[in-house]
Amino acid sequence: QEQVILQKPTFDFKAYMLEKGTSVQKALDESIVVKHPPTIHEAMRYSLLAGGKRVRPILCIAACELVGGKEATAMPAACAVEMIHTMSLIHDDLPCMDNDDFRRGKPTNHKVYGEDVAVLAGDSLLAFAFEYVSSFTVGTSPARVLAAIGELAKSIGTEGLVAGQVVDIASTGGEDIGLDQLEFIHIHKTAALLEASVVLGAILGGGSDAQVEKLRKFARCIGLLFQVVDDILDVTKSSEELGKTAGKDLLVDKTTYPKLLGLEKSRQFAEELLAEAKQQLEEFESQEAVAPLVALAEYIAYRQN
Amino acid sequence: TSSVSANFDLKTYWSTLREEINQKLDEAIPVKYPAQIYESMRYSVLAEGAKRAPPVMCVAACELLGGNRLAAFPTACALEMVHAASLIHDDLPCMDDDPSRRGQPSNHTVFGMDMAILAGDALFPLGFRHIVSHTPTNLVPETQLLRVINEIARAVGSTGMAAGQFVDLEGPANAIDFIHAKKYGEMGECSAVCGGLLAGANDDEIQRLRRYGRAVGILYQVVDDMLEVNSSKPKPVDAEKLVEEKKEKSYVGAYGIEKALKVAEGLRAEAKNALEGFEKYGEKVLPLYSFVDYAADRSFSFADQV
Repeated sequence: QEQVILQKPTFDFKAYMLEKGTSVQKALDESIVVKHPPTIHEAMRYSLLAGGKRVRPILCIAACELVGGKEATAMPAACAVEMIHTMSLIHDDLPCMDNDDFRRGKPTNHKVYGEDVAVLAGDSLLAFAFEYVSSFTVGTSPARVLAAIGELAKSIGTEGLVAGQVVDIASTGGEDIGLDQLEFIHIHKTAALLEASVVLGAILGGGSDAQVEKLRKFARCIGLLFQVVDDILDVTKSSEELGKTAGKDLLVDKTTYPKLLGLEKSRQFAEELLAEAKQQLEEFESQEAVAPLVALAEYIAYRQN
Repeated sequence: TSSVSANFDLKTYWSTLREEINQKLDEAIPVKYPAQIYESMRYSVLAEGAKRAPPVMCVAACELLGGNRLAAFPTACALEMVHAASLIHDDLPCMDDDPSRRGQPSNHTVFGMDMAILAGDALFPLGFRHIVSHTPTNLVPETQLLRVINEIARAVGSTGMAAGQFVDLEGPANAIDFIHAKKYGEMGECSAVCGGLLAGANDDEIQRLRRYGRAVGILYQVVDDMLEVNSSKPKPVDAEKLVEEKKEKSYVGAYGIEKALKVAEGLRAEAKNALEGFEKYGEKVLPLYSFVDYAADRSFSFADQV
């Protein structure tokens, strides 16, 4: 018995992220071929392949594998959630929105291709995500692909990304917002797509309704956790450590968790969210495939940038 | 055969469907928190000037092949949602910079550019979601529904309507055929094909519907271009420049009225030719058939049409 415990391999998170990140990058590269008119496809590829940690696609694959599915079954959906994430970044960066010049260390899409192409490239990525999932998903039933498409659609619009951005825009400009509104923004702007990533993986991998709901709760917790930690890092780290402008939230007088709760209580809240997330994974504990999701949650909680 | 078509009361068929579609669209977008985004979406989707041609074509194609119109309604609504999304974005200042649409101020002039972009971003996925959540599963197999979603996504995407808009903005000056095919043909093609898919059409029938929808979509716009030229409606001075710009990009502006007329006749013939294989369905082909004549002749208008 003791022998078995000793031989249990420790999970190498770094190697896992590298391996999955590489296969996601390859799949993304192959997903969009430059067709006519070339510029629009180049603009789509420019932002989609710009890098980033690929947390969403990896969550999708990890959830699929946890419920017994194959990586290949989740891959089109994994690419689709990254396409949606990219699309929302392109549109959020536009001058009439957040007006950002740099993203992932490169000039933003509209800086390179112009605003008109940036709007169209975003729209095209949005549409292509659905085209891609509906035509390339194999190894699962059509009913599950359809359910996954419904979940993906829900995470983008007025019950997801768009709702978060609308309330975020409305609450910038000095107006004080409360904890409820702050949570609304983060649940929609950040957690909704993370939730979709995990739920799509679980549905396509063949998870039961109960499993899908457990993983949905898990994803919601880490989605909110992601943002709480982001807020804490903004006030505790230097720009150099973060690789982006630190103290930016304070500068634009943005409402954050440290501002509303104080630093200590924010840290405590992060710990609670991590614990709640892990609790959702309890029934999967005996399975080796649970390690990536546990490690991803811990990574989100304890990252330094 | 045009006498056959003359006996069909397209106006009543269309008006009845239009009312039903309007009601379903109204129900599909209730106002919730945050209200301004829902209002922005509703403003464009429920615009009174909307004729609902794509939904009518979708329902008519579905019924032609023996499908139940209840199977087609959610997709018909989705077509209007994605169509509205694409029009909202096309009107933006960084695109066509159009101050009005369907007889009312364009979305961004009322709700602001940020909200207009977000309303479009929300309407695209709402269309897909509406299909998944509202199509009666006992009427349409899941594989067919996946093909419908695929068809719509392709039609609005980087090789479809977005491609047409891009070439319209930045492409070569002589690309008018490509622009018309993509900006207007795709929506017609997609509407007819989706109706066929929902009814379980075979590949040959889908191909015919594809040709039919594309021809009617382009025909509709070419005729619009001709009517625009002939219209003697007085325009405010500041709108004149826009009208001039539009003329240059219109079919008539590029090819002249003579060629436009010829092209319109050709498209009418092409659309009717595509319907030939459906004669075995008898009278059920009449809505699609008379739709072609309407696109060419505009023999009636709706009471509340702007």
